[in-house]
Amino acid sequence: MQPVISLKDIRVTLGENFSLSVESLVLQPHRIYALTGPNGAGKSTLLRVMALLLSPQAGTIEFAKSDSTDLARQRQRVTLVEQTPYLFKGSVTDNLSYGLKLRGINSRERSERIRATLAIVGLEGFEQRQAKELSGGEVQRVALARALVLKPELLLLDEPTANIDSNSMQSYETLISGLPEYGSTVVFSTHDPSQSRRLGEEVLQIEDGHLVNGSPRGPQSAAFNRRRSVYGA
Amino acid sequence: MGYWGDSLLTAFELILGFDREVRMAVWTSLYTSSCSIVIAALLGVPIGLWLGLNRFRGRQVMIALLNTLMALPTVVVGLLLFGLFSRQGPLGPLGLLFTPMAMIAGQMVLAAPIVANLVLAAVTGADQRIINTALTLGASRLQAAIQLLREIRFGVMAAVIAGFGRVIAEVGVAMMLGGNIRNSTRTMTTAIALETSKGEFAFGLALGIVLLSVALIVNLFLNALQQR
Repeated sequence: MQPVISLKDIRVTLGENFSLSVESLVLQPHRIYALTGPNGAGKSTLLRVMALLLSPQAGTIEFAKSDSTDLARQRQRVTLVEQTPYLFKGSVTDNLSYGLKLRGINSRERSERIRATLAIVGLEGFEQRQAKELSGGEVQRVALARALVLKPELLLLDEPTANIDSNSMQSYETLISGLPEYGSTVVFSTHDPSQSRRLGEEVLQIEDGHLVNGSPRGPQSAAFNRRRSVYGA
Repeated sequence: MGYWGDSLLTAFELILGFDREVRMAVWTSLYTSSCSIVIAALLGVPIGLWLGLNRFRGRQVMIALLNTLMALPTVVVGLLLFGLFSRQGPLGPLGLLFTPMAMIAGQMVLAAPIVANLVLAAVTGADQRIINTALTLGASRLQAAIQLLREIRFGVMAAVIAGFGRVIAEVGVAMMLGGNIRNSTRTMTTAIALETSKGEFAFGLALGIVLLSVALIVNLFLNALQQR
């Protein structure tokens, strides 16, 4: 199966004290990757590189079946949900419509996709709710829905449960674990090793700006049996 | 009733009677100010946005220049443009001096730095995640910048209104480039200056009341926007 994205010899330097180095990273379709490592290790930077928001000083990033060199068009294949997402002013529908309109999706299909996606994230009937009226957990779900509605090949989640209260954690993790069913490869970052083992089919370990080999999975993750090493693939 | 009382009564009679002189001065003010603020917004908004979003060598110099232009005395702008538009000036053959077009050009020079500077402030103060959010949802750099403008639209509108407030109340440019020609380039401010000097205090007062009303409406609108 053709990989969703391949990174090779990536090097990013931010200021004098931080650099990210990825020799090789290949992500396969419809899988969940946990990107783990301590704070400041480079998880968010790597996600931003994969989201094409940050240009590496060296290296190559290739998407499957890529026939365009237009950055905006390439970027439409991947969506990043930030740790503290920003919702545009207006309604939930306005937010979910934004990316769909950019892709030229017509009004009827937009409505159908928005309704279906809100149901996936457990926010049925939220279409007309104003972004400023939502709770922190609802903002997180709307941001996830806004990304998911675009059906990205690669969905990047930066510490998606960092702002979720413990009561909602389990349902949110269940939601994340089901995302590949909707056609996306998911990479989520976390500094919680147990969460990476619970959710990640494969674990990407990053330390001091270097991606090290995918760590072995713990016994908690025995339900997932599709693990494979991604480093140096 | 006394000097003030008589003058106020006459002023209201002129306003409520739709006096032709008053009407023409109000119309010329609104027309030139509206045209100039539209052009100033078309120039100032992109400049403010560009300066706010990009970091490059010379940016601080450009911002300092904008700040300086904001504080330019109106007569200095009038003087410089007079030199351009006068018969001996480089744009003299166009015959623009003492026409509404010259006034619009001058007022645009006054308003554009205000609009640019206030849009720059709005962009700088905007949530830094807006651009990246738009980009990651598939927007191009231009589309992301437009989305940023949508998010800070009240700040942008406040910038445009502040520019409008500056040009409708100015007298230097209107006087030097318009020439205060009756029924052509006479604005509320130049008419107030002229008529008062002729001893027509009531007429000046009538226009002053209209000008104050416009300024009040503009400021009320500005306050309403700033509270959103």
